[in-house]
Amino acid sequence: MATRDPSMICCFRLLFLLLFSVPLIASSSSWASMHHNNWAVLVCTSRYWSDSESGYPGFKFSFCNKLPRYHIEINSCNSKLEVERFNYRHMANTLSLYRTVKRLGIPDERIILMLADDMACNMRNNYPAQVFNNENHQLNLYGDNVEVDYRGYEVTVENFMRVLTGRHDPAVPRSKRLLSDEGSHILLYMTGHGGDEFLKFQDSEELQSHDLADAVKQMKEKNRFKELLIMVDTCQAATLFNQVLSSLISDDPICSLHYALLPHDCAATSVLDFGSSMSQYLAYGYAFLPAFKHILILQSPGVLAIGSSMKGENSYSHHLDSDIGVSVVDRFTYYTLAFFEKLNMYSNASLSSLFNSYNPRTLMSTAYYRMDLYQRPLPEVPVTSFFGSVMKTIHTDAAYMGLSIPPKTEAQFLPGDGGNHQLRIENEPDLEKDGNKQTKELHCIYHEWLNLLQERFENTDAELLFRYGFGTMVFLLTISTWLLA
Amino acid sequence: MAVKEEGDTSQQGKKSRSRLILRLGALLVAHSGLVSVVCCAAGIIAFILLPVLANNTYISENALMPGSADPAFSSQEVLDANRLTMDILNRGAAKASGIEIAKLLREYIVAVGAESYYHKFVPRANKFHPLHFFSSTTDNLDLPANPSCGSFILNAVGIIRAPRGDGKETIVLVTPYNSQNTTYSDAVSLGIGFSIFSLLSHVTWLAKDIVWLAADSRYGEYTTVDSWLKDYHGPAFPGETSRIVDDACFEENNSDSLDHIKVEGHNSYVYKRAGTMAAALVLKVVDKKEEERDSLSIYAEASNGQMPNLDLINIAHYLAVHRQGLRVKIGSIIYFLKASWVKLLGEMLQHITTLAKRLNPKWKFDITSADYVEGTATLASSIYYQALGVPTGSHGAFRNYQVDAVTLEFSPRSSLNNENVRSAFLLKTGRLIEGVIRSVNNLLEKFHQSFFLYFLTAPHKYVSVGIYMIPFGILIAPLPIVAAALFSSNNGSSNKDGSWKWLQAAKVVFLIHLWAMITSLLPYVLLQLPLGTPSSFASAWAAVAICFLLITYLILWSSSIDCGWELLKSVMIVAAAIGLSLMSVINFSTAQIGAMLIVPMCLLVKPARKQTQGVFAKALMLTSNLALLVVAFPPAALLIAKTLFGASGNIDIGDFWEWAQILWSWNSATYMYLLWIHLPCWVLCLNIFLYPCIGSSSKA
Repeated sequence: MATRDPSMICCFRLLFLLLFSVPLIASSSSWASMHHNNWAVLVCTSRYWSDSESGYPGFKFSFCNKLPRYHIEINSCNSKLEVERFNYRHMANTLSLYRTVKRLGIPDERIILMLADDMACNMRNNYPAQVFNNENHQLNLYGDNVEVDYRGYEVTVENFMRVLTGRHDPAVPRSKRLLSDEGSHILLYMTGHGGDEFLKFQDSEELQSHDLADAVKQMKEKNRFKELLIMVDTCQAATLFNQVLSSLISDDPICSLHYALLPHDCAATSVLDFGSSMSQYLAYGYAFLPAFKHILILQSPGVLAIGSSMKGENSYSHHLDSDIGVSVVDRFTYYTLAFFEKLNMYSNASLSSLFNSYNPRTLMSTAYYRMDLYQRPLPEVPVTSFFGSVMKTIHTDAAYMGLSIPPKTEAQFLPGDGGNHQLRIENEPDLEKDGNKQTKELHCIYHEWLNLLQERFENTDAELLFRYGFGTMVFLLTISTWLLA
Repeated sequence: MAVKEEGDTSQQGKKSRSRLILRLGALLVAHSGLVSVVCCAAGIIAFILLPVLANNTYISENALMPGSADPAFSSQEVLDANRLTMDILNRGAAKASGIEIAKLLREYIVAVGAESYYHKFVPRANKFHPLHFFSSTTDNLDLPANPSCGSFILNAVGIIRAPRGDGKETIVLVTPYNSQNTTYSDAVSLGIGFSIFSLLSHVTWLAKDIVWLAADSRYGEYTTVDSWLKDYHGPAFPGETSRIVDDACFEENNSDSLDHIKVEGHNSYVYKRAGTMAAALVLKVVDKKEEERDSLSIYAEASNGQMPNLDLINIAHYLAVHRQGLRVKIGSIIYFLKASWVKLLGEMLQHITTLAKRLNPKWKFDITSADYVEGTATLASSIYYQALGVPTGSHGAFRNYQVDAVTLEFSPRSSLNNENVRSAFLLKTGRLIEGVIRSVNNLLEKFHQSFFLYFLTAPHKYVSVGIYMIPFGILIAPLPIVAAALFSSNNGSSNKDGSWKWLQAAKVVFLIHLWAMITSLLPYVLLQLPLGTPSSFASAWAAVAICFLLITYLILWSSSIDCGWELLKSVMIVAAAIGLSLMSVINFSTAQIGAMLIVPMCLLVKPARKQTQGVFAKALMLTSNLALLVVAFPPAALLIAKTLFGASGNIDIGDFWEWAQILWSWNSATYMYLLWIHLPCWVLCLNIFLYPCIGSSSKA
């Protein structure tokens, strides 16, 4: 035993090195994973045609989310529960956004649509089985191909959290699950009645900002998204994602330390920066080793959030449909949709152009976005990376790539002006180019090996090769048995 | 100061520092005279200030959303209304039988595609039921011994089932008309009712059923609506005797319409129901012709001062003013509009409020003299109708079933015979009613957000219960204090007798109350007697009551003298305070008006023969006592009110009987208040005033 010691130590060192590097490699690979699919979770949380939630006679909550001309403000709007009048528009908001993301390319199976009430079939609806978001009634949002995943009383805080975190009962069908992975971009849109750090679900429940933060953290831990855009259209919407940042960084000692040291770019530190700060981390010793994985993930949670209104602000409806007798769309959503109406799935409009399109004067509230958990510069992020879908098509000659493809043809294609020849829908120019290079490299190496083998097969006798191979296998077997003994 | 007062008492040595509340109480009792003067004055001033303290109304229920939808009532509906109006006038003129219009209406309803049936009943006179106060279902059981066959009433009822609704709730529209003497405005109101009904029969947004009751108000619209509601809410047994009697009557009496019935089948008499009533609107049209604009009068008072939810009035007012440009009026007492003292008060208040506003711009007691005068007149009418306890229209019948209802009375600016005026008027009223119905249709729950206890000082201003209770509270606050002061002073003077002497006084007060209760039940006995005129009833009532009172006094004489007038007054005041407090819960307005009369009387009353220093003081005391005793006597108060508010004509003793009859036939709690609380209190005050004053010589 003692004689083996030096070699064993050597072995252990090697092993340790390997162990140490494994998480690094794993996490860096997860970090570097491509954006390859898009999901959308669209939630409308409010029930009933028109809300009658209020206090006692004589004590008046201020109305929120309503037309300004009805705005009879008696006390300030900071009361905890904001009271709104028209709930039809929440469904219209959600359905409009559903239509937009579908139009921009997210397929139905990747959209989780939650509608708390069926306004289309409400008996007070002037247009049975139809929902409009504009008084011109040009566009029926509740057409033939609307796939509602959670409807009515299924829309609960519990189900919402289950969808986000992916902790479902085994009986829940796949169509009701958010089957995203570490390469997914998720759009989470929520509308309803909200207040300071909460969003009312139905008439009985609340989603608190802590709950949302917890769900986002779990999603991150479970590698359920690469990037997440939370979009909230309620009163005091910005308060809803207050807790997301703190939950993502607080319980991690190194990151919080790092955050304390470099508060501005903790979240924005990328893998490239990692090397430079590596020595700094190593100084804390191996005690923190298990935490490295967390650090690597949490460097950039990739969470972007935008709310229709700041704390203490109301979110107003845009206009009233005098046929249906209710407001049909909220201002924030209306201007969001107006922005997207100009776009198609090939357009390259950036998120910053969307965010800058919100005018506080027309919105009558301040659209607030936070990007301290997001590292890509907004002007370079196309809106389609959340509202659209990755649809990458690589041109190939045959249906399957395999032995038959001679590398020459590939070489012919690639050096030429590839952008024109390759049938590709450019949703993510930067990432896609990176990805393309990687695939190209892999492709070439693979083919070289194949070519080598093929040449051998052609030149030498196959039987000879077989004998040599067999002999080598027997030799290896004997050596290994001897070593084990 | 409190400590100092406390120090005066003899108990200083034992417990020098008792609890603060006791010391404050003792202080108040010690200064009861001052406290009562201040409180009475403050209470009355605060009451006068109510129009200043009124707030603007607002729509409290968010779901109502009045005016957010465009009305669909168009000229097509106006044509419908005109068609029906003309038909009614033509046919009604041709055949004056009571059921002609009901048949016509049913034809129209069926043509629209709605369900329809006839409701018929035999009206019965309201009788005195001593134990039926507060119970909505009177005379369910007593059938008339011999129902006269000509007197049944036939109402046409139409029901629209909400196409996608759940049928659990319904909105009721009532259009009263007089089938015997159908006026033009009756026909127009039926036309409006039908045009709205036909509009609603094809709209897609109905969530509640619509019931249209065309109520034949030949024997009073309230009776008709009440009987329909009774049938709606009560179970109908097929073997019920009254129904059979009615059927027999009907079929015999109308041989000319028998074939018609056969064609329609017996089904047309099957009572049909929709869901629970969410709200009811009573529509009326009156031709007043002296307005500069089309106007809408809202009547809301139901029995015993119950009001519909303020939101219902609010939406009607909002739509009328902001959408249809109608002038909204609610009842006001003309006397106050013209009285110069009100005007003077208004000007004074205007000066004071402007001064107050200069001191602090945040105070919003901004009122002009004209506003104050109008507010006072409206408030007075509001209080009067609530205090009377008699509903101001057939909407009162709905309130008995806890259904919010108002009467909307429309009057055009000029004669309806003018075609253009009529179409414009119909368009406005139709759109208003459609808007109200659509608002109520949006509701998910009963009306519950806004106030049920309020006075209106203008169509858009209200005084809520939280404000108007304060003057009342201040007004009756001195009663217990004075009672305590009298009691303690009496006990202090005669300590040796023991403190059980008040039981004597309590016995007197109790027996007088018992007498009052018997008096209140006397009409039930008197009505059995064959007395002819109301005046003979009234004099018999008074005579019997006075006889009983004298007998009571014969029994009580010794004890009433024995106990001393101070104790008697003290117990009487306690009884009055309890009575007023109870009444303020039942019908606040009655209690308020009663308190204004009773409280000064109770506080001031003193034996006339009591020795006081100074001739002037004695004369003042005597005159004030006498004046209050006269004013507080209910019949005298009625007479004074009658002369004050300009009712002409000779005063007959029978009027009192008729007046009392109105009160009990409407199950008004005011009757009970007058006879159970007010009258005994007045008798006791009179007793104290005429007190022989032999034994007692206290200085209180």
